[in-house]
Amino acid sequence: MPPSFATCPFCGLLCDDLVVTPGPAGLLAAGGACERARVEFSALGAASPSPRVRGRAAGLDEALDEAARLLGAARRPAIGGLDVDVGAMRAILPLAQRLGAVIDHSGSFAKYRNLHVVQESGLITTTFAEVRNRADVVVLVGDGWTKRFPRFVERMLVPAPVFAGDGGRRFVLLNPADRSALPADAECLELAVPMAELPVLAGTLAALAAGRPVSLDRAVTALGGSASDGLAERLARCVDWLREARYGVLVWSAADLEFPHAELAVQALARMLRVLNEKTRFAGLPLAGVDGDLTANAVQTWRAGLPLPASYANGTVDFDPHRHALPGRLARGECDLLLWVSNLGTKPVPVVDGVPTIVLGRADRTFDAAPDVYLPVATPGVDAPGHLLRGDKVITLFLKPVRSGSLPTAAAMIEALAARLEPATC
Amino acid sequence: MLTRIAGGRVIDPANGVNDVIRDLYVRDGVIVDAPRDGERIDRTIDAAGMIVMAGAIDLHTHIGGGKVNIARALLPEFDRLDPMPAHGVCEPCTGGAAPSTLATGYRYAAMGYTACFEPAMLPVNARQAHMEMGDTPIVDKGAYALLGNDDFFLQLLASGAEQREIDDYVAWTLHATQAAGIKVVNAGGISAFKFNARSLDVDGEHPHYRVTPRQVLGALTRAIDGLGVPHPLHVHGSNLGVPGNADSTLATIDAAEGRRIHLTHLQFHSYGTEGDRKFSSAAQRIAEKVNASPNVSVDVGQILFGQTVTCSGDSMMQHRNARHARPAKWVVMDIECDAGCGVVPFRYRDRDFVNALQWAIGLELFLLVRDPWRVFLTTDHPNGGPFWSYPHLIKLLMDRSFRNEVLSRLHPEAATSSTLASLEREYSLYEIAIMTRAAPARILGLADRGHLGPGAAADIVVYEPHSDPEVQFTAPRYVFKDGTVVAERGEIKAVTAGSIHVVKPEFDRGIERKLDDWFRRHHTQSLASFKISDEEVCVCGRAPKLVTHACTHRG
Repeated sequence: MPPSFATCPFCGLLCDDLVVTPGPAGLLAAGGACERARVEFSALGAASPSPRVRGRAAGLDEALDEAARLLGAARRPAIGGLDVDVGAMRAILPLAQRLGAVIDHSGSFAKYRNLHVVQESGLITTTFAEVRNRADVVVLVGDGWTKRFPRFVERMLVPAPVFAGDGGRRFVLLNPADRSALPADAECLELAVPMAELPVLAGTLAALAAGRPVSLDRAVTALGGSASDGLAERLARCVDWLREARYGVLVWSAADLEFPHAELAVQALARMLRVLNEKTRFAGLPLAGVDGDLTANAVQTWRAGLPLPASYANGTVDFDPHRHALPGRLARGECDLLLWVSNLGTKPVPVVDGVPTIVLGRADRTFDAAPDVYLPVATPGVDAPGHLLRGDKVITLFLKPVRSGSLPTAAAMIEALAARLEPATC
Repeated sequence: MLTRIAGGRVIDPANGVNDVIRDLYVRDGVIVDAPRDGERIDRTIDAAGMIVMAGAIDLHTHIGGGKVNIARALLPEFDRLDPMPAHGVCEPCTGGAAPSTLATGYRYAAMGYTACFEPAMLPVNARQAHMEMGDTPIVDKGAYALLGNDDFFLQLLASGAEQREIDDYVAWTLHATQAAGIKVVNAGGISAFKFNARSLDVDGEHPHYRVTPRQVLGALTRAIDGLGVPHPLHVHGSNLGVPGNADSTLATIDAAEGRRIHLTHLQFHSYGTEGDRKFSSAAQRIAEKVNASPNVSVDVGQILFGQTVTCSGDSMMQHRNARHARPAKWVVMDIECDAGCGVVPFRYRDRDFVNALQWAIGLELFLLVRDPWRVFLTTDHPNGGPFWSYPHLIKLLMDRSFRNEVLSRLHPEAATSSTLASLEREYSLYEIAIMTRAAPARILGLADRGHLGPGAAADIVVYEPHSDPEVQFTAPRYVFKDGTVVAERGEIKAVTAGSIHVVKPEFDRGIERKLDDWFRRHHTQSLASFKISDEEVCVCGRAPKLVTHACTHRG
């Protein structure tokens, strides 16, 4: 009998060729599993948690009662984390509106770098299978494509692009990049430019691609290069590659762009794509989907019509990336309770003095400061079925559980909590 | 529980009933025969003097799937202008240019619509489409899977595969994506755009596969007939929006060679090149052809003035039209060797010659296509305008003086460049009931919807008659969904979950061997991951029921 493959929920690639079996020290992930998958499955396999109230083991009913009491007493609650599957989000949103809560994903600040550009000017994008089969020129920004998406190169960039003609695939690396992650014989052009200068670089490339008069010397100086380091020649060569591409792809991950006003870099990249598409085909691939960021946003967007972060205060829904962002809300003392829901990852839960915290979290999670209530929940694709959006935004995959466990799902836990709240008064 | 809807004026074209006063009986969500004497009637709804029709069915409305969600995220500014606060049983959400799923369900139900069909479900995006439809409350849902631009199909066609193999692939897609029909968008053109082609006419060659849209249409119409899929091939033609595209539309009809074909948003495909501005109405020419071709059905895709957003699978034409985007922002995607999409916001202005003439062309088509069983009321929501403008559109069809009064306020050349002002036809209530109920149910093969005979689902709308059809159709007195009163006078009273409608023609599963190999060599998920089971689609679609409609082989 052929093995039953598992789908890995731990990054945006959602690799569906894993074989996961029980081992002596937890779950053993093999097949296509990367190092991250091995570590995550193993950690989850070993955990056997119980609910906790202020660090002390408690029965499920006691913990739920205490969580419901805290929720019922809150006047300005916030819901955060949200590295969850579709089913959990579908349960969270009715609770958010019932509580009048502010709601945000832990990665939405990074995601907004892309969303902001979409809402200002739009984007031209593509998906994994187009990259795999079509891309003859691939521009890789930063190093997230190898660090945060471990099998991206193996799965999308190593297979030959069958629709690209005979020329094979060429790569442009925009610093800081790890050349060694690419196939050793790949034709490769490196542009060593500090990440913070990405807006200048993308603007220069777009202007050159559009055939506008650009002083290469001045561009090189602006990019921190010098007349002797060959940057001008490499810029010119890069533009040739971009224009010659039959189907080019520009890969970035917004979470990598850790410099002030990084949305300007995405804006410049988006403009460059629009210019290139006047003559040839060139599409962006904003890699995402780690920690369920795309999933949480998609469900919120389709149900409410507006993305995250959002506020459900006063019986309405409102989107504002600045006012409703959870870190700011917490820092300004605008929340009196934090409900953190996270059944996929183990990002740290913010600790704010005087703000009671309820965590619906993964079975193996630990805390520096114990939350008021911790309710362990099933991880989709491990203990329970679930659905997640993949990192190219179009594919949603079913996550089949690899074992039968007794942990409740986050959705079931939220419904149990909601059932304990006073009936809504409106 | 037995409910009587008493004394209404029943209009039920599927059963040949035109304005006859009679009682309807509902038990367990289904319309039943009159009870025997002495049987207890638990509840009576007084419908005396009111008009009773089956729930309306929208056979082409973009309500779910990635491109709609992109449109929602793209345009928060219009959502903010159309807030829908929590109210009664309704959760807070927003309408706007691309309404939320909650708003979509609430507004359709409040208006007396009880089933909606998403016309452009990308097979690779089918799960998300079903999820969005699942979060669209109250109404029933179904979707047409997109084929004809996917590399598997195109290489099959290019390699001269037998029709039987194409039939198997089409049937497999219907099963794997849980669809109710098949749509083709700009046949071959979305794929050609990935190879940098910027246009593709019906007899143009695809730059890579060397097949023509005519061949694609031929193979897919043959498959639909061969498999006995009730809904004809749903076709978004070539050259959408391009002046002179009427020739492509006529060629598209010919490509079907007499087999059943449904031309969608025909208004966008009925343009000539006459006049100083090289843009004219070809509605007359197109309508004549439709009238003479009993194998053809159409929906109009009427435009209405105001802000909207166009969501289409047609990445090629959306990229070409992106320069008209208002506000100036747009998204174009190439998708997974499967299809593509383009999302371009648009503002239709009554003082703009092109927009005014588009408006007139749509109405000309409605009025010139004679058979109400073959022309359907759509705005291609949200592309031509939001679905909640249907009552206004019905008034335009039913009231000639109103229509001409609106025409007189538009760019003056819209009147002189079209025949609209001279068209005297006014739709009757019976014809409206055909085009919004009986005919869509029939063309989708929905045996138990769109009519009021015993055995039909109790999707029933009771209207208070009004001299202004727009008022009458905006907020019906009662809307029943599966026997439950879900809306009264435009207000939602109960939030229920609708069923999913699908078709599952028989086929040879041997096609999976070839597909499995294709997935391994080209895809980024496995064949097993791609397929959606009956059980899973009910979870995604939050559906109490999967309703499978019969396929009858038509040779």
